[in-house]
Amino acid sequence: MTALRTDTVLADLVHPGSALVDAATGTTWSGADLVSRAERFADGLVNLGPGPLFLLAGVDTASIERYLGGLAARRPVALLDPATPPATLVDLVGRFQPAAVLGASTRQPAPEGYLPTADGWRRLTSGETPPPHPDLTLLLGTSGSTGSPKFVRLSGRAVLANARSVIESLGITAAEIAPTCLPLHYSYGLSVLHSHLAAGATVVVTGHGVLERPFWTAVDRYGITSLSGVPYHYEMLRRLRFDPASHPSLRTVTQAGGRLRDELVTFFHRTMAAVGGRMFVMYGQTEAAPRMACLPAEELPARVGSVGRPVPGGTFTIRPLADQETAGGAPASARAWGATAGAKVEGEVVYQGPNVMMGYAESAAELSSGDGLGGVLATGDLGYLDEEGFLFLTGRLSRIGKVFGNRVNLDDVERLLRGRTGHVGPGAAVADGDRVVVFLEGGTSEACRSVARTLAAELRLHASGFDVRPVDRLPLLPSGKTDYRTLEAGT
Amino acid sequence: MTLVERLRGVFVQALDLGQDVEVEKLEYRGVDAWDSVGHMTLVAAVEDEFDVQLDTDQVIDMSSFKVAADMLKNLGVPEH
Repeated sequence: MTALRTDTVLADLVHPGSALVDAATGTTWSGADLVSRAERFADGLVNLGPGPLFLLAGVDTASIERYLGGLAARRPVALLDPATPPATLVDLVGRFQPAAVLGASTRQPAPEGYLPTADGWRRLTSGETPPPHPDLTLLLGTSGSTGSPKFVRLSGRAVLANARSVIESLGITAAEIAPTCLPLHYSYGLSVLHSHLAAGATVVVTGHGVLERPFWTAVDRYGITSLSGVPYHYEMLRRLRFDPASHPSLRTVTQAGGRLRDELVTFFHRTMAAVGGRMFVMYGQTEAAPRMACLPAEELPARVGSVGRPVPGGTFTIRPLADQETAGGAPASARAWGATAGAKVEGEVVYQGPNVMMGYAESAAELSSGDGLGGVLATGDLGYLDEEGFLFLTGRLSRIGKVFGNRVNLDDVERLLRGRTGHVGPGAAVADGDRVVVFLEGGTSEACRSVARTLAAELRLHASGFDVRPVDRLPLLPSGKTDYRTLEAGT
Repeated sequence: MTLVERLRGVFVQALDLGQDVEVEKLEYRGVDAWDSVGHMTLVAAVEDEFDVQLDTDQVIDMSSFKVAADMLKNLGVPEH
């Protein structure tokens, strides 16, 4: 295996001049150190059976070292939320038959066929499933809500292509110093790590968030130059009366992970511009490794509400809605904004680029499949392009909402309403920005509170992300289906 | 009501705490509900209840019930 190391993804992903800093201790590793440590870690993996590595990845340098070690060993690495519930983890292990589960809690008994080790669990048998596809490098969860999670299959080529596109879009130089603002199992958080290590820049690893003193201490101590956040981070920063003038090194902020209110896009653009800084709005999906579009700071004032142009190497096309069912099941035909045919036609956003995933996987057998998409991703998002190619998103084709950046399947929410919450009448869930609004027929305010609490617990999201309201009667379409458009208009 | 009693009520309401939680010993991230999202709800509720406006440092430093109580005292909220 050692002989094959030179063509690993690792060599391209980690520039020798990059650096990783542990904010808690100040310990610094150069990119060259990281690569040699990763290779040493990989040496400890050679005796494992075939299959992917599972890594419960915290925001810490040990997790990053294990991740890079998995890449050095040329094994697909699945990055998982360290808070994955035990039952979900056992289900995933059963379906994907990883060679080892790194970082599994010693308090949780190892599943059938696995042996506890100092570093998690390792599989005892060699397994009967075919080996993973040689291009397969990274597996990330679809950040879906309930039900059995599936993985997005990403090739090393896609990951590297996106890291390079992000570097170009944001102009990341070796002088940039980024903190880990987001979890590493979250594609946006991981792409901050990838793009900075590949650019020869510095990543400061901190487990603290923007609401904690140690985070801001690290910003000033290490001269952090950028922040990355999802909409709710910007809601928090606004409330904190964030002022970049207090942090002279901090001059770039990027936002992705859902739509930020126009008012806040404008606010942060102005706040950053006032100190000579920049605000970038970006658009991505885990399925695109992950970023697809970027709205550069200089274009932002004239395009508030847009997610920008495709990142280098990518293109967008709009597939007209035609007779597809839109959110809520009401059939709709293509809606045109412009006077000329073809201008500003709303439809499904289709992205084409080298960063598109190979496909999904729900079982170990599917990990051996090759690329099934050919670089074309139907995003499931609705939107239109303006005359100059700027993308504006208008909604979702399927019924997916977001709560604090996490995708929530609204049909799952309704299933939970019927099953777990104890609510007996009909209920309906619609997306509203960064939260989900649930309408309960004949609900009392106490019942609404209880339902919000149950949904939050079941979906492991904060209860304030579920706005549960009583209604006398849910509006219905002539077909008898719930009239979601009317409900959406009422949010 | 004393400041501490009022503050306890604000915590219980804003974070939707159960009866088994020792509110006065709570620290940030000590319960699931007091995460970053809960913190913003809590800050808004504290500002409403005590008619104060917390600045950036105060929002960031409000990392426990005790710190919140001391901060309110320092802001001139009477203890009784």
